[in-house]
Amino acid sequence: MAHEAAGQTLQPTALVHEAWLRLVTEGDRSWQNRVHFFRAAAQAMRRILVDRARHKSSIKCGGGQDRLNIEDLDLAEATPDDRILLIDDALARLEAEDPESARIITLKFFGGLTNKEVAKTLGVTERTIEREWAYAKACLYEMIHEEA
Amino acid sequence: MTHLKQIEKALFDAAKNLLDAEARQALLDQSCNGNPALRTRIERLLALQEPAEEFFNVHPLETDEVKEPQDGTGITPVENVAPADESAFAEGPNAHIGRYKLLQRLGEGGCGVVYMAEQQEPVRRRVALKIIRLGMDTENVIARFGAERQALALMDHPNIAHVLDAGATETGRPYFVMELVRGIKITEYCNEHHLDTRQRLDLFVQVCHAIQHAHQKGIIHRDIKPSNILVTLHDGVAVPKVIDFGIAKATEGRLTDNTVFTAYGQFIGTPAYMSPEQVELNGLDVDTRSDIYSLGVLLYELLTDRTPFDSKTLMQSGVEEMRRTLREKEPQRPSNLVTTLQLEELTATAVRRHVEPPRLISLLEGDLDWIVMKTLEKDRSRRYETANGLAMDIQRYLNNEPINARPPSKLYRLQKLVRRNKVVFASGAAVIIALIIGLGTSTWFYFKERESRQAAERGRANETLLRQQAEARATIAQAAMLVGQNRFEEADRLVAGVAFPETVLAGETVFRPLGDWAATQGRWQRAVEYFTLLVRVDQMETWDVATLDYTRCGAALVASGDKDAYERFRRTAIKHVASTSDPVVAERTVKNSLLVPADKTVLASLAPLAEIAAKSVPEANSPTDNEPWSGAIAWRCVSLALMDYRRAHYPEAIGWCQRCLSYGTDNLARVATIHAMLAMTYRQLGQSENARAELAQSHEIIENKLVNGLDAGGSGNQGFWFDWEVGNILLREATGLIDRNHANTTGYQPMECRGGEGFVTAIAPTI
Repeated sequence: MAHEAAGQTLQPTALVHEAWLRLVTEGDRSWQNRVHFFRAAAQAMRRILVDRARHKSSIKCGGGQDRLNIEDLDLAEATPDDRILLIDDALARLEAEDPESARIITLKFFGGLTNKEVAKTLGVTERTIEREWAYAKACLYEMIHEEA
Repeated sequence: MTHLKQIEKALFDAAKNLLDAEARQALLDQSCNGNPALRTRIERLLALQEPAEEFFNVHPLETDEVKEPQDGTGITPVENVAPADESAFAEGPNAHIGRYKLLQRLGEGGCGVVYMAEQQEPVRRRVALKIIRLGMDTENVIARFGAERQALALMDHPNIAHVLDAGATETGRPYFVMELVRGIKITEYCNEHHLDTRQRLDLFVQVCHAIQHAHQKGIIHRDIKPSNILVTLHDGVAVPKVIDFGIAKATEGRLTDNTVFTAYGQFIGTPAYMSPEQVELNGLDVDTRSDIYSLGVLLYELLTDRTPFDSKTLMQSGVEEMRRTLREKEPQRPSNLVTTLQLEELTATAVRRHVEPPRLISLLEGDLDWIVMKTLEKDRSRRYETANGLAMDIQRYLNNEPINARPPSKLYRLQKLVRRNKVVFASGAAVIIALIIGLGTSTWFYFKERESRQAAERGRANETLLRQQAEARATIAQAAMLVGQNRFEEADRLVAGVAFPETVLAGETVFRPLGDWAATQGRWQRAVEYFTLLVRVDQMETWDVATLDYTRCGAALVASGDKDAYERFRRTAIKHVASTSDPVVAERTVKNSLLVPADKTVLASLAPLAEIAAKSVPEANSPTDNEPWSGAIAWRCVSLALMDYRRAHYPEAIGWCQRCLSYGTDNLARVATIHAMLAMTYRQLGQSENARAELAQSHEIIENKLVNGLDAGGSGNQGFWFDWEVGNILLREATGLIDRNHANTTGYQPMECRGGEGFVTAIAPTI
């Protein structure tokens, strides 16, 4: 492929490949800093994962596009794809209330970054990230739980 | 608000870490004094904490929740896992697959991942669970996986790890469960316990029997190496067990994967253990004798602590070199190799075999040398026919009986001589003359006959479909290599001659560059063929990988002039992405589907997609946080402009166009596209002057580019070839619209206008 470096190391899975393509082809590469880049990457992955989950999930969007139909859903039994959709949905709401926590969740859950990597990116200690992550998960789960 | 949040966070964290319930209560009493709302909230969060952890734990991308092994290359076996390890996972939830609780990740190989897991019912025990990696669960692979699992389940041998169970996760990823073998690599075991040669051979014979058993069940292992053979202790007796018969093999043409990767300088697998035929680009006809070769390498290593060819050296020298070496270079005989060692190494090797150095050499000399070399023959018809044959010869050696592998005949020696001195023996005549002079003609005829007999047998054994499949895979592999060297013409010719009985996953990396190349050559039919294949491969994934491929396909279809195909294509594309919420996918689909005017149904089906794209465009001049680059937004505006144009919402279309330009004019393809659209829109609004001006601008940019030539690569910044082609397509439409109208005023054929419901459709010229 003419536009890929010959020295590419790993064969990316299709998922990462697509995310990479989007990041690279959308033109600018004017990421101001690491934070910018990782957030963008995590967002891209999020959308791709959500799309994929939608294909496979049993939770259909009833009526309007927005509300997920999860009345009878037992959260503990939810499949990974269901969970992705639930998390994505709740995350959208969390973003309004608590953008910090929402960001951590996107980076960690969708971006798949380790605590260490997130800490390095945001310029804080790993301990801080552990704390934030635990809190964020609990908050988000609460939101999901309330809906169900 | 933030203040309160911070307090909440800190309190939650502190309370969470107090494991003692009383202390926790005390903390909350103190800090929430007078603030019952806060207390309720904290307590609620604490209560939900465990299920929250559990909820987030099942993740499609394996996260650092599941422990990573040190060495990710082979399967790292676990030796004597102590109960202490268990407590590390006792608290907090663990992932489950089926009814197995995952405990620890053991390693990965090929396309699968191996976990140590615990089975609860009906019996409580530890097992090894192997599951296909994410991204590999396509129908093809799964089918093969299933077939292989069946065969594996049929195997029942004390030296092969048993298959206990199999299934698939909710997401459709297949897995199977095997007996957990706690042991260490056979080579390590022998060295650590200083087993002498005789004892090593005993173990090796058992391995041969296991492989023989597998061969009888129709399974070729293909990846025999020390890390796949573990030695465990059963009642104090060392038992070797073969593990990992191959999730890696369940994929399409493992060799193809290798070769494709090598185009990018990466190699998977242990080259030192691969047989010469495995390493050839033709993955054809790798049969049981390939396993025999690998057994030979194993034997070599057990006897001398080294492999016939050094792994590192092989990988360093590059793929071609490596192939040549494995195919042509004769390895040293074990006894020879050992004599070339430095004194300390020689001594160490001997010590590990419980002998003195000179004794080691004499042990290897003679029969053992011949047995090993026979298994390592480049010509597989000269190797042992079966693993049992190999085992029996070793037994004979151990019993001091005469063995079958004998010193080579004169003809044999001559062949080797020729191999080593190809240049000298280049002329066939020289060989024949030497043959006739050197030997009795009867010997020569005997060998000739033997060859043809074996060839006939081989012919019968092959089925057409297998051959086709193998051919397809091999072709892809070869084409990939050519593509990697920019030899597009040859790759194209190569691929053209082959029928693809099924879509090959690895084809993706070949079809795309070849399609790109064909497009820039103006070979639109060919390009369409490639991209259609590519899109089919993409669809084998469960979501739309690389929607840019749809853009490629769409642009090529329009350029090739096949109207019907384009119609079909856009309907399929729209249907396929109907449920997406991803603005990027939505926007691209809108654009791809509107390269040619569309009727009401198509527009209606695109409307929701356009909505999604429009919603994601932020207010003008607002800080773009989640969408960091203006380039992406600008492209979105292009699609939205096109949508509005087709819907005859002209003022809105102009709005989008101007918006797009406000994000910058560095991407010329995009700019040219916008000008073309502005030209058409102004024309529809009756502003001929503006229309002409825009048309001229678009024309100039594209002319410029065509003069300088499109290249198959291009970058996102300067526009890929398909970005330019889209601009070109719209420019042609604009030109047709505007110039024809100009022609109209001078008395030519009027432009066709379809009235009704107030919208006008311009018929684009011969598209």
